This record gives sequence, structure tokens and C-alpha cells, in this order.
Amino acid sequence: MEISNNSSTSRKRSREEGDSAPESHESDQSLSLEDNLIFSDTMVALRMMRAQFPHIDKVTVEPFILQSQLYSSVKDRTQVDRELESLRREKVLRVFKLNTGQDDHALMFMEDYLNQMKRAVKSMETKKQGVCVVFEWFEVHVIHSKPEPSIGHHELCSLLSIGGKVKDEDISLLINAGLLTRQLIDSDMYWFAIPNIGSVLKGITQGRKELLSLLNRKKYKEMMLALLEKKRLRLSPLDIRFHLRDLLGSGHLKTIQTPSGLVIRAVKN
Amino acid sequence: MWKEIGDRESGKLRPNSFISRVRSNRASSLQLSNHKEIVSSHRGSINSLQVDLTEGRYLLSGASDASLAIYDIQRATDYEAGGLIAKHKPILIDKQHQNAHKYAISTAIWYPIDTGLFVTGSYDHHIKVWDTNTTQVVMDFKMPGKVYRTAMSSLATSHMLIAAATEDVQVRLCDMASGAFAHTLSGHRDGVMAVEWSNSSEWILMTGGCDGAIRFWDIRRAGCFMVLDQSQSQLGRRPPLLDQSTTKVDFSINTFSARAPQRKVGSGSSSKHSGNNKILKHAKGSAKQRLHPGLLTSQDRATAHYGAVLGLKATEDGMYLLSAGSDSRLRLWDIQSGCNTLVHYEVVRLLSSKAIQLAVTQDSGIVFLPCMTSVKAFDVWSGKSRMTLQGHYENISCCYSNHDQELYTGGNDRQILIWSPPKLMPDDVDELDGRTGQPPAADEDNWSD
Repeated sequence: MEISNNSSTSRKRSREEGDSAPESHESDQSLSLEDNLIFSDTMVALRMMRAQFPHIDKVTVEPFILQSQLYSSVKDRTQVDRELESLRREKVLRVFKLNTGQDDHALMFMEDYLNQMKRAVKSMETKKQGVCVVFEWFEVHVIHSKPEPSIGHHELCSLLSIGGKVKDEDISLLINAGLLTRQLIDSDMYWFAIPNIGSVLKGITQGRKELLSLLNRKKYKEMMLALLEKKRLRLSPLDIRFHLRDLLGSGHLKTIQTPSGLVIRAVKN
Repeated sequence: MWKEIGDRESGKLRPNSFISRVRSNRASSLQLSNHKEIVSSHRGSINSLQVDLTEGRYLLSGASDASLAIYDIQRATDYEAGGLIAKHKPILIDKQHQNAHKYAISTAIWYPIDTGLFVTGSYDHHIKVWDTNTTQVVMDFKMPGKVYRTAMSSLATSHMLIAAATEDVQVRLCDMASGAFAHTLSGHRDGVMAVEWSNSSEWILMTGGCDGAIRFWDIRRAGCFMVLDQSQSQLGRRPPLLDQSTTKVDFSINTFSARAPQRKVGSGSSSKHSGNNKILKHAKGSAKQRLHPGLLTSQDRATAHYGAVLGLKATEDGMYLLSAGSDSRLRLWDIQSGCNTLVHYEVVRLLSSKAIQLAVTQDSGIVFLPCMTSVKAFDVWSGKSRMTLQGHYENISCCYSNHDQELYTGGNDRQILIWSPPKLMPDDVDELDGRTGQPPAADEDNWSD
């Protein structure tokens, strides 16, 4: 796994080999968002953000990237959309729709997702004291053949039955493991979901609210990026840089270039 | 500018490219007009604007206080500030009229052939056809729900159908020639908020519903023949040639087979998956009871947006469709292949309680989208934001651009603002000095910027 937490002091490590690497052991100032805000290519941005995924103490979760973070990191959004589409078709990435907002999507590399799934399946099996073969069928037949974020009931059953006979309890097992969620609008369709990230999602929503209220309370609703980065959010276990990229990409915050550096301002609507 | 005219004269520049260059220059330099103003006497928020298609002279607006107004945008009614600002006063129809609508008017469109008739639809479940010269209602259709949008085809030579999008799941076609309903198109699973006729065929209708689906209907057949799915995408303006051949095969089988395999939810580009899915649909068709082949698409649950579809606009060449949804996305669809072209327009938030009207320039270069209190102009092909037109005090829901590169926007602040390219020369100042120079009205303080 690439995100290894070797140095106990720094919370995020830069993947760039270079003069910034030795500094990162002392403090995390070198990974200032100001220097690393915009990348040239979607794949580079994805790998960088995956490496910088914050380490959470209680929960072990594989790194995932929010689509809004990607939009704030690469200049051309159309290029991002198209490259994501081709990566998704090549099955390098998976896209998941999250329930934290109107248009929130999470991107996860295939290896990370399979690791996360294995962990969830293992914990499920220890609880149930039995090996359920439906998880294998799910991984082999469904995940590898369907790159979309959602799937219909009939299609799910037919793909699973390539492995063996499918019962309704098997689908409930998949939902209980957190691998599938029913869609609210349409009871016949399911969303693919990342298991065991409930606390992280809660952290995302609360962190967003806290960061926005922090800026809105200021007189001019803005703050220097260098100062903002050093703050710690009370309600979210995730690093503030995670939330900053996310809110910049979704348009709630914007950056302004000033002679003394970047300033983040809350956009009023 | 003069150099280009010289080039055109000498033949170095082709006339068509000269015209398109002038037009795109004008369209990209829009600002709040400093020589034209519309005096709006509506008492409610403005829901719909349209300039007539025949002369481009009259602007029709419908408001929430059930009032309608027609403005002559080429001839001003009077001038002020020493002849620099032209004011246009309306010909008004308001609530006191005996046959007027009772509740808000949500849509007002001109009869596409001439300005003698116009059609209005309102939240009081009625669609009325008015005679412009006598300002009387000549026809009245009662709908089962609130009318969100009406549309008439500008290409139609053999029919005079008004397509009505209401909060009922069925789209009704009202025939103006006979005064009766022609037929209904069913397939949506929630109210329909947006309806547009195609710019390339008089028989094709596109509707967008509150369930997030965009459906294409050929009114001569039952059922819709295409449902746009946001997960079917193509990378670029044209689908790659190889994929086009595989998807075309599906299309032609659609027409008259008992087992019509409809457009499926699935990755549209890899051909191996399409084979798999077709088998699935066949199996499903035999397991259920026999449905009319046209109605098989009612089981197709593909969505174009994650929320409701608020507005649709087809480009003038009829090849691309822009759709705005309440998930705050604006998407560009290639009509021929039915795929999402994945152009990303940076929209933060859209007003999601009303249907919104989009506008596209004539050469399909810029799309204008009303976002809350401003209008954002995006480049259609790259998705970059070109300008933000800020001028209204409250939310805007409709905008219309005519062929003169002028943009009209109407909002909840009851004003209609004109945005036009800056005027090049103050040519008529001397002539109009003799006109009555009334003391500037307090209205001048309405300008911002």
C-alpha cells in the first residue's frame, strides 16, 4: 500500500522526490496547498491526492478522492471529465455516488477498492461465522464487468447467477456489508458504495460546514491560505486541505491572488 | 474592424467568415445596454420571454401576476436623456381582462408563422391562444395540471400542434386547427418541465421531466425512441467512427420489431457489453406480458440528470442539445448519437423551483444560463465561463437572445434588462436633440455597474 505512515510527525507526505522530501519530516509546511494547487494532468493529480489522503486514527480506510477536489486541482474541467471517463472505462478507477450532497462523487483506484471490499467482507464473515460465496461472485462478475456507479436489480441478479444460484438473502447480505445501497428515487436500482466509510462521510459534511462558517464569520469572509492551512477542524477527522480542495472545486470558495500570497474567500450566493 | 472590412472588400476574407467574426465579437462583448431600456410594468416576476421568429421585432413576456406584455424592441416609444436612451413601453394585457389567466403565466410563445397569434400557458391549468390585434382569447385548452411550458414547432408545415408540458406525467399535443387534443405521449414518470421541438425535423419533440429523464419522441409513432442517459458518453464532438457503426445497428432495429431492443442502461461504447445487454432485454421481454413496442421505453429508467430537468435548448443546426438540471449541471448532448459529450460547465447553483430558459447564440458558440441573480455565458464547446452578466436584483429565470446579438433577461425583480454590445458611434445624437427632453426619471437609479 502506497500510503505508508512512516514518519509519525508529518500527516501527509509528498510523493515528489526532490528537495521538498527531506523537509517533510519536520513539519507539514512544505506541503502547502499554495505550491501544489494546480496539476497538469488528471492522473498526476489523482496520484498526488491519493498519496496525500489524510490518516485517520480510529478507522482504516483506503484513500479515495472526491470529484470536486479534482476539479480544483486541474484547470480544465472538461479535460478532467473526459480523462475520468476513459480511466473508468479502462477499469483503473471506480466512481461512486455519495449521499453527502447533490452531485458528490468519490473516485477510488481499483486496487484500493478491492482491498477495502476484502476488509469489509472479512469483518462480515467473522460476524456471521461462515463463508459467503456471494461476495466472490460479486467481485468477479459484477465489479469487473460493470464500471458504472449504479446497477439495476435484474442485471445484478443475472450477473450474480453466472456464479451460482442467487437468493434474495444474498442481496441483503451485500447491502448489509455496505457494498450496495438502494436508490431513494427508484427502488429497482442500486448504487455501488464504499463499505465502512460512514464516519468519513460524516466528517466530510461536518468539516465542510465548519470551514464555511469559519470563513463566513470573518468580516470580509476571507482569510490567507497560509494561515488557514494551519488550522485544525474540530468536527472532522480529515485534514483541512482535503476540505479546502473539495470546497474550491464545488465553487463555495474561491482563490484570489494577492501580492502576499493566495487568499481564500467564501462565495456568497 | 476597418481592416477586416477592407479585407472583405478586396476579397481576402470570405463573406461568411466576416459575418461570423463580427457576430462572435459582438456576442462576446455584451454588457448592460446603455442605449436601450424596457419599461416593464409587470407586477410579478417574469417567467417567460420570447422575441418573435418572423421579424425579430416584438418581445413577448409573461409574468406571475397573470399579465402579459408585448414590447417593440426596434422602435422606441420615447427617448430621454437628450436622445441617448430609448425607452420601450409595452402593450399590456393584465388581470382585469375578462379572459385573462387567473394565476401565474409560466410560458408565452409566439405563433411561429406570424405575430398575429400567441399562446400562453399558466398555472391555472389553461392554455390560451390569443389574437394579437384584438387581444382576445380565441382558443382555450384545459390541462390536468399546472402548465410549465408550451412549444410550437417553427419548422412545421403540416401540423399546428402545441406541445404542453405540465405537472402531469403525460405530454399533451393540442391541435390549434381543430381546437381538440391530438394525442398524448406517455413515458415520463413525473411532471414534465421542459419541452422543445427539434430544429431539424417537424415531427421530433424533446421533453425533459422532473424525474431527470430527457426523451425524444417522434409524434407520428407511439412511445419515445430515445432516452438520454448521462452514463453513455462520448469523448468529444463526434462519436468515433467504429462506435458509430455498432450503435447505429441498434437504432435501425428499433423501428418496427416486436422485440424492439431499446436503448439500454450500460456502457454504450464497448460492443461486447451491448451484446450482453440485448440478450437480457430479450429475456425480460418474453417473461413479462406483451407490451406495445412503443411503450417498452417506459421501462427504460435512464436519467440525464440527478435531479429534475429544468430547461432544454437545441442548437440552431439541430445537432446538439443543452440541458440544465436541478443537480446544478448543464450538459451538452449529441442528438445523433444520444451521448453526453462530457463538456463541463462550471455552474454552482441553479434556481430549481421554476423552469429556466436557456439561450444560445446563432452560431452556437455561447450559451447563456441564468444562475441565481446573474447570467453566465459559457463557451459551448470547451465549457469555460466567458462572462457573468450581473444586473438583476433578484433571481433570474429566463433569458432570450435574438439574432441581433442582444440578450433579454427577466427576473423576479420584475425588470426586463437588455444586454447589448457597446454602440460604436453616437450617430443619432444631433438629430434627436430637438425631441422632448424630459427630466431623467428616477428609473435611472436602477442601473448598477
